[in-house]
Amino acid sequence: MFGVGKTSLVRRFVYDRFEDGYLSTIGVKVSQKLLPPIQTGEGKFGQFNFLLWDIEGFEENSPQLSNYLVGAAGALVVADLLRPETIASLPAIINRFRKAAPAGQVALAGNKIDLAKTSPETVGELERFAAESHLPFLLTSAKTGENVEKSFQVLARQIAQSGGR
Amino acid sequence: MEAGFFEKIFQQKRMGFASLSPQLTVISHNPYFLEFLIQPGRPAQGQPLQVLIPETVGLENVLEQIAAGKQVFFQLENLQREKPGKETLFFHLSFYHTAEKAAPLFCLLEEVTATARLRQQIIQQMNEIRLLESLIAARREEISLSILGNSEPIRKIRATIEKLARVPAATILLQGESGTGKSMAARMLHHASSGKNAPFVEINCAAIPETLLESELFGYEKGAFTHAIASKQGLLEEAHGGTLFLDEIGDMSLKLQAKMLSFLETRRFRRLGSTAEKEVRLRLLASTNRDLDELVRNGAFREDLYYRLNVVKIELPPLRELGSDILEIAISYIQAFNIDFNKKISGLTAEAEEKLLRYRWPGNVRELRNAIERAMIFAEGERLDAADLLVGPAGPGPEAAPAAENFRLPAGGMSFEEIEKKLLRDALKLAGGNQSKAAKLLRLSRDAFRYRLEKHGLPDG
Ligand SMILES: Nc1nc2c(ncn2[C@@H]2O[C@H](COP(=O)(O)OP(=O)(O)O)[C@@H](O)[C@H]2O)c(=O)[nH]1
Ligand SMILES: [Mg+2]
Repeated sequence: MFGVGKTSLVRRFVYDRFEDGYLSTIGVKVSQKLLPPIQTGEGKFGQFNFLLWDIEGFEENSPQLSNYLVGAAGALVVADLLRPETIASLPAIINRFRKAAPAGQVALAGNKIDLAKTSPETVGELERFAAESHLPFLLTSAKTGENVEKSFQVLARQIAQSGGR
Repeated sequence: MEAGFFEKIFQQKRMGFASLSPQLTVISHNPYFLEFLIQPGRPAQGQPLQVLIPETVGLENVLEQIAAGKQVFFQLENLQREKPGKETLFFHLSFYHTAEKAAPLFCLLEEVTATARLRQQIIQQMNEIRLLESLIAARREEISLSILGNSEPIRKIRATIEKLARVPAATILLQGESGTGKSMAARMLHHASSGKNAPFVEINCAAIPETLLESELFGYEKGAFTHAIASKQGLLEEAHGGTLFLDEIGDMSLKLQAKMLSFLETRRFRRLGSTAEKEVRLRLLASTNRDLDELVRNGAFREDLYYRLNVVKIELPPLRELGSDILEIAISYIQAFNIDFNKKISGLTAEAEEKLLRYRWPGNVRELRNAIERAMIFAEGERLDAADLLVGPAGPGPEAAPAAENFRLPAGGMSFEEIEKKLLRDALKLAGGNQSKAAKLLRLSRDAFRYRLEKHGLPDG
């Protein structure tokens, strides 16, 4: 879903920046980020070099989309806490990802928590969905930076534990 | 054909290409290919494709299939390269199978910046519209579901509501003049304490004849009375799992009061014309603008029901007692109506503020809301002015300021000093001791006001 803040999250994560005025993503924008080492198992540590694919195009149902997804080890699936309909569309997005990348790991982010503090209902809805589908989730704000790095780390840990790249 | 003919065409069409080994290293390429690399211009010959174009990481399986001729074609659209100081470059990347054993993969890169930019602009605008819409919706909700203001009584009410939200079973009585926001407080309590889809059912007991109110509340079975041609569930059932709000419960008949009491004690009831008992779980909120104590004393309200309802009481103060909160509330309505009417009113003029502070507001918040709404429809200026605000009944009401012309000196004369002293005292009293406000009421500057206080030896503060 566009406008949920995917690009903003990547920018915050990679460059530690947030701007309101840049252009929407089209296609795919790739960027890199070396994560600090994390514990990946008992006594095991690993360091991830993330190649982040910021993708737009889910709403168009294009066959192209699967091409973007095939090589992925994991996905951070983002919902916009101001728009409950983006939570409703999560299952379809996750299914699509799993079809294209069956070994891929999934973590959820509920973004724009800086604006959503007054709508606990949407937050609760995402919480319920995450629990039902057994997915880790964090409430993030690309604007303030809240939980941004952490949500990528959660995904990295998922990937590490599944024995992925 | 001359040597380099295709090279020229590719260059002119802004296309790069490379042929790749089965191990995905570059065997040969045209010069334009270098433009698309993550580090443009670096030598590419012999390099792994994944180093040159990182978007191909993870595609090993797919590319193997193409090299083996099991898949003909694969494409990624709208990849991009940001170039410092230049426009972002957009390109499609595609792979084809070739019959050459040593170079079974042909990789084509095609620049599409112009079309990508157009698409981007369209998406950008859609995106901005969506963001604004969601912000507006969130803001509307915030305004409609909050009790505004910072005065002591308002802060107390907010704290009480927050506390009570955590005790979902409690019955609560909301008391206050009409228009003080009893119904909004009821909604807030409901939203704060129940789930998103829990029902909120509201009925005004003063607005409906007694017999109808009874059948509305309890429901009826087919044939229970003449017009009961089908069974109908009542509001008690509708509110199951949520909140039932009885507005103006002071107007309920004694007979219905008895039925409500029995329901509150047992949580059970029967539909009209039925013998089967039903049980529901709900939170009851009731409101009244009348003095229930007095109604009880006069025998118009059941004492036992009163005690049942009065477990927790929230008193909503009249607007005129909220001091400068009036202005804050007015401003928030201005913001809300700016959204509704697509206007850009930035606030209130000093005269408008004064008018709002001076008026008695018998209709309370509701009247204020209506006054602001009416003013916003016709307002032309950047801020709402006193003239935009039509408050109170037409003509000078009992509380309207008497025009100076209407003031008559009694035939016997009177002491100017005494009148001045009295006006100063009254203004201070009305303004709750706040000198600036008191000065405003008398259309004096703060200094002029203080000077006069001193002149009369009145305490300044
Ligand atoms: N307040 C706030 N705005 C955000 C946040 N994340 C993104 N935005 C805004 O939401 C809009 C869409 O963000 P963008 O990153 O382009 O979304 P994308 O389409 O999912 O990549 C932009 O105007 C961002 O400035 C956030 O955490 N808080
Ligand atoms: Mg984006």
